[in-house]
Amino acid sequence: MEEDYYMSGDSEEEEDYYSPDRDEESLDGLENDDTGAQWNPSKAFSSKVITKESLLAAQREDLRRVMDLLSVREHHARTLLIHYRWDVEKLIAVYVEKGKPCLFAAAGVTVVERLDPESSSTLMCIICMDDIPAEDVTKMDCGHSFCNHCWTEHFVIKIKEGQSKRIRCMAHKCNAICDEAIIRKLVSLRHPDLAEKFDRFLLESYIEDNKMVKWCPSVPHCGNAIRVENDEYCEVECSCGLQFCFSCLSETHSPCSCLMWELWTKKCRDESETVNWMTVHTKPCPKCHKPVEKNGGCNLVSCICGQPFCWLCGGATGRDHTWSHIANHSCGRYKEDTEKNAERAKRDLYRYMHYHNRYKAHTDSFKQESRLKETIKEKVSSLEARDSNLRDFSWVMNGLYRLFRSRRALSYSYPFAFYMFGDELFKDEMTNCKREIKQHLFEDQQQQLESNVEKLSKFLEEPFDEYTEEQVMQIRMQVLNLSVITDNLCKKMYECIENDLLGSLQFTIHPIAPYQSKGIEKAEELSVGWTQAPYNEKCQKAADQFKGRVI
Amino acid sequence: MVDFARVQKELQECNRDFEVSGIRVVPKSEANLAHLLGTIPGPLGTPYEGGTFKIDINLTDGYPFEPPKMKFVTKVWHPNISSQSGAICLDILKDQWSPALTLKTALLSIQALLSAPEPDDPQDAVVAQQYLREHHTFLGTARYWTEAFAMTSSLDVEEKVKKLVEMGFPETLVRSALDSVGGDENLALEKLCSG
Ligand SMILES: [Zn+2]
Ligand SMILES: [Zn+2]
Ligand SMILES: [Zn+2]
Ligand SMILES: [Zn+2]
Ligand SMILES: [Zn+2]
Ligand SMILES: [Zn+2]
Ligand SMILES: [Zn+2]
Repeated sequence: MEEDYYMSGDSEEEEDYYSPDRDEESLDGLENDDTGAQWNPSKAFSSKVITKESLLAAQREDLRRVMDLLSVREHHARTLLIHYRWDVEKLIAVYVEKGKPCLFAAAGVTVVERLDPESSSTLMCIICMDDIPAEDVTKMDCGHSFCNHCWTEHFVIKIKEGQSKRIRCMAHKCNAICDEAIIRKLVSLRHPDLAEKFDRFLLESYIEDNKMVKWCPSVPHCGNAIRVENDEYCEVECSCGLQFCFSCLSETHSPCSCLMWELWTKKCRDESETVNWMTVHTKPCPKCHKPVEKNGGCNLVSCICGQPFCWLCGGATGRDHTWSHIANHSCGRYKEDTEKNAERAKRDLYRYMHYHNRYKAHTDSFKQESRLKETIKEKVSSLEARDSNLRDFSWVMNGLYRLFRSRRALSYSYPFAFYMFGDELFKDEMTNCKREIKQHLFEDQQQQLESNVEKLSKFLEEPFDEYTEEQVMQIRMQVLNLSVITDNLCKKMYECIENDLLGSLQFTIHPIAPYQSKGIEKAEELSVGWTQAPYNEKCQKAADQFKGRVI
Repeated sequence: MVDFARVQKELQECNRDFEVSGIRVVPKSEANLAHLLGTIPGPLGTPYEGGTFKIDINLTDGYPFEPPKMKFVTKVWHPNISSQSGAICLDILKDQWSPALTLKTALLSIQALLSAPEPDDPQDAVVAQQYLREHHTFLGTARYWTEAFAMTSSLDVEEKVKKLVEMGFPETLVRSALDSVGGDENLALEKLCSG
């Protein structure tokens, strides 16, 4: 009795029954090692959260690499990195290809041999045209000397102009970027507030000039930035919990491309003002015509009169419907209006409505399913309280997370299809005939996914906590099986999109974030190790302030 | 605030070697060193030769850490100078300005621009087109404009003096006012009116 359920003889049977052609897959649709009750989204090694505390450390890694490689001081390393937009690999490539002098010249780094200090006690500053005591004169790395007063005026104006990241020497035609330490020192003597601003600009350059690092778009701003390692087309989760598309900073929207998503959200905004069906959250019952509100994740709803009907098309599905009826119910496939006299505008609107209705139905579903989580948890705890042979109920939560995941993919696949097979973006990319073939191919997959998602949803909604052990086992098998199937269907749909649809485009590139079977990657906090060198207090102060910024 | 100590020094130095450079900078009124008038002679061997070109100079509070604002008062036909407004397209008056430059060096750069137009970065597209396609016509027009607008014969000066005296100003004041603004009738009148 203490034996884990999986270890009993049943497991082999299940394997035979459910996955005859998928022996390498685990039954719960997750990795084999995943036995906990928690759904564990993959720990992302390809993205990092940069907090105000780790911002300095994040830069320091890159700065140190460049300082070591080229044996330069920190401010030169920073100037080089700002010039190359914090792309260390690119910087190294230029160094290898063109050499140090070229690399330095392009970025405005000048290193001259330290000259002997001036022997005379006063020097003429050619800016203010005054004779200045030698101790009030500062020489920059490029060898140009001016009085501290003039340097300060120059720095103040440049910082105010927002040019902190590239303040050039005052000498005519001198391209050298001024030493940040000198700027900090001189400016803070007279304008401490501006010196802090300067430091903040330098710190934030790491985020603002770096295409692999972006501020988390949370409102109010959580203070974090996210750094990705390989591909900027990905979806991430910040440590504040916000999930977003790294490329366009809006909500996660794959398999829609960023452009498609931008067009879609704009279209929805525009249409919602004129078309009132958007605001309809209820559907009339096909029998009694009372408005029925959708109260669960499933797209098969029941009216209080007892009439079940399909939420997607509003059509009655029959009194004795089960999930298998929905499987054969094919309203998800939209038939183009072939009537010759149909006005184009009307057709376009209907086409949009078709895709939007399905998109909306699934979006609403996954919003409600998030609430379902609580009810399901209750069911699980009442099952666990029972004295029974069944011990492991991880399949319930795993099934639920699989449902969320698949429904998201399904939901965004509708705006994708709207643009993929419409005239707006790819009119010249394919012939009508080819487009039709591709559309059928895609819709077949989409429909399969849709019917399996609905089945999964239906099973999870059943009051299995009231069932007998045997019945619970039945549900468990169904949920495990459907989890594997929907995960595979999602994978296939993404593959089809990447390879056969978007991949075959001639004139445009529409990258999409890859399918993440285990959910959106949670970016890992960047560790601030012992390597963190003591940095100057001002920098820390600026870093503290940056916590308060609002985007 | 404009660094007036420096502006004073610049003016002294500039006017000291007027004999050599032919470049002059004078304040429009003694009271305000932020508004100045510069004059440059048209370079030899160009259609601008023999002309005297007046340039309106405005100094912002940030001067010399911000560039001076300069534009031609005298009408001039040149690809990098607007034939309408007198606006000048020159890098050192924008992002290539350095506090180490002076009003005199800026005016020298403008003079150099008169000798060597850069039609690929035009301020005045019409002139630039003509410069590139009908160079001969361009030379003629530029010359004509120089003669019409940049050469004040002594007769012209006498006429202006007469006109201003008739308006009720004493002749000595009129002459010094005209001198200080490089012979511009309107500026002289402004100056006389402001006392
Ligand atoms: Zn000075
Ligand atoms: Zn320099
Ligand atoms: Zn965040
Ligand atoms: Zn995006
Ligand atoms: Zn009803
Ligand atoms: Zn259903
Ligand atoms: Zn239907």
